[in-house]
Amino acid sequence: MSVSPPAAPGSVAITGMGVVCCLGDTVSGTFAALCSGRSGVAPLRAFRPELYRARHAYEIDDRPGRRDETLRATRWLVRAVRAAIADDGLLDDLGSVPVLVGTTLRELRSVELWWRDGHPFAPRDLHFGTALRDEFAATDTHTVCNACAASLYTLGLGADLITLGAAPAVVVAGVDAITESSYGLLDRANDRPPSALRPFERTRSGMLMGEGAAAAVLRRADAAPPNRVRAVVRAVALACDAQHPTAPDPKGIAAAIREGHRRASVAAEDVDLVMLHGSGTPLGDEAEAMGLTDVLGPSVRGPYMTAVKSMTGHTAGSSGLLSLIVAVESLRHGRVPPVVGLAEPIEAAREFRLVRGTAAAARLRLAQVNAFGFGGLNAVALVEMPAASEVA
Amino acid sequence: MTYDDDDGVLVTGTGFALSGVDRAADLWTCPSARFKEPFEPADRLGGRRLRYKDRATRLGLAAVHQVLRDARLQADGGGLTVPGESTGVVVSSNLGNVDAVCAAAETIASDTAAAVSPMELPNTASNVIASWIAIRFGLRGASLTLCNGPTSGLDALFWAWALVRAGRVERAVVVGVEPTGTAARLLAAAHDRRPDDGARLLDGAVALVAESARAARRRGIPATAALSGFARRADLHEAVARARGPDGPPVGVWLVPEGGSVPTPEGLHGVHTRDLSTDVGHCSGALGVLQCAAATAYLSRGGPGCVLATAGGHDDDDAAAAVVLTAPAPSDDFVPGPSALEGR
Repeated sequence: MSVSPPAAPGSVAITGMGVVCCLGDTVSGTFAALCSGRSGVAPLRAFRPELYRARHAYEIDDRPGRRDETLRATRWLVRAVRAAIADDGLLDDLGSVPVLVGTTLRELRSVELWWRDGHPFAPRDLHFGTALRDEFAATDTHTVCNACAASLYTLGLGADLITLGAAPAVVVAGVDAITESSYGLLDRANDRPPSALRPFERTRSGMLMGEGAAAAVLRRADAAPPNRVRAVVRAVALACDAQHPTAPDPKGIAAAIREGHRRASVAAEDVDLVMLHGSGTPLGDEAEAMGLTDVLGPSVRGPYMTAVKSMTGHTAGSSGLLSLIVAVESLRHGRVPPVVGLAEPIEAAREFRLVRGTAAAARLRLAQVNAFGFGGLNAVALVEMPAASEVA
Repeated sequence: MTYDDDDGVLVTGTGFALSGVDRAADLWTCPSARFKEPFEPADRLGGRRLRYKDRATRLGLAAVHQVLRDARLQADGGGLTVPGESTGVVVSSNLGNVDAVCAAAETIASDTAAAVSPMELPNTASNVIASWIAIRFGLRGASLTLCNGPTSGLDALFWAWALVRAGRVERAVVVGVEPTGTAARLLAAAHDRRPDDGARLLDGAVALVAESARAARRRGIPATAALSGFARRADLHEAVARARGPDGPPVGVWLVPEGGSVPTPEGLHGVHTRDLSTDVGHCSGALGVLQCAAATAYLSRGGPGCVLATAGGHDDDDAAAAVVLTAPAPSDDFVPGPSALEGR
């Protein structure tokens, strides 16, 4: 397995990025939409609204005539990976480059359409390796089903492969399309049907799902062309609460954040920006605020904080990497998108420097990205701007 | 890469939720008819805490219950003998929650979302098996669920190795599990809605513990195999060559992919082969883990050479994977042996 000497921890560079979501299919377009406070929420585009109490979602608008289709997630994944490879500029086809895809629901939407409505579907398309082989000749592909922490988990796993010396470059990605089973069961679980996802807002009523794909190319920082280095991954903590199948645990969240800081050798006061998980559920936001406050202590007033799910919805398996890409763009451009729909923050987040109304302009160096999923899956990434000498 | 040092990753326990299999050696000796009898997880776990858990989760829990005892990770009182943070979970399953998803979608379409039980919510996400395993047994290390097609079980072994080598955990419980619900059977057997063609699917789970040699030595637990090489490549020939390396040990037994014959990779002509699926049924995501469990029995009984476990590699598969398992290298204070298997 070993092909090169291990790299020092914290020396993994992000050299390419790609995004597809309800706000656009480019990194720059999506970041601009987020900074302008544009929400992608809309009435349900293909599901029968009369079956649910909620009637909205943050879907990708690619079904003219409202007729649902199989393999949408696969298509977005391919587009996001292609964009990340193009941004990196050094990979023609992927061959034995590891490709790690984080997802909550894989192609289960296609399975629903196959089972109930008789759409053609083959089991070989349930995981993403088949499409990645067809499109990119990729053969070392891994579909990792790690709920809403999935793509930040793949970031950590991909960074591990590089630091172990097992691969010089890795593509990490995340993708999810909404299934009727998850939309319906969330609808059942929400107290009141939300018409928008409003993270940390006192009157929030629950989560609304979104759709999307995100991808990034990782390389050893010391082997990456300096002009390609978008940001450096200092560390990713990966953990599991082992407490409850759906409810988050403030203690587990705090432990994951602490572990991230320890691995990255950073102090709480070093963090300039926190990309909150911000799922908009009463329990989830409360637990995240408590966990953050526990670790950051008095420093909790310091960093800018935002939650992009207020505009993208909860893009599930892709959400962690989507947040990471927004963090990188925020570091690079000195702008932080606002949390939209936030009128009055919850008590537990009262002291947070949540960006509201319009995008904030700020010089930023170090960002923390949170992703927490069902099953108590927690991932926390620390990412920073490369040293000035590394940027062309 | 050698594994006779502290950096090695060893197999230190096996567990099964499969009729006719109480220990790894049974995979070589049990009459195949016994595999066909249904396994009842409640017999081992009690029924009370299994409500709202799907079949795959119940099977996985039953296999892990056994593997934790086999690897001496669970004390008689039920608590772990190691910190929960030091132990991760890696699950492989392709069909695990397919039936739960199809049933919920059907109920919603006929009776609206008000008709589904919110207790079903965790079952919509494919990590549900790993979640319940972590919760029930207090395993708080990194948790992964691989749903990676025919090679998924061998890929799970790779990720357990990677989590240990990266220092994230000292050991990972690796689980391969597939259930046979109606939707899972139809999806596996046919590419459209034709009736089930009778293909027999595994309805069971297998678990093993992949542990750093250092941690195994510290605990004084014997190992039955070392994970010695991995590859996932376009075809079987490439994967095998890569996993074995230029000067790998001779192959004593080749565990072949399920689903029909594949071209024999270079260097394997005349090697003894075994297709586990002919006895236990089509294993899908459980295959690789089951193969590695079978390998531990072969190696701990002193079988010659290494065991080569392989999956995928057919024209319809996205890739092929190969894993090499060797007998753990003996050292003065660390004598591997079959006692972990014989002791039950």
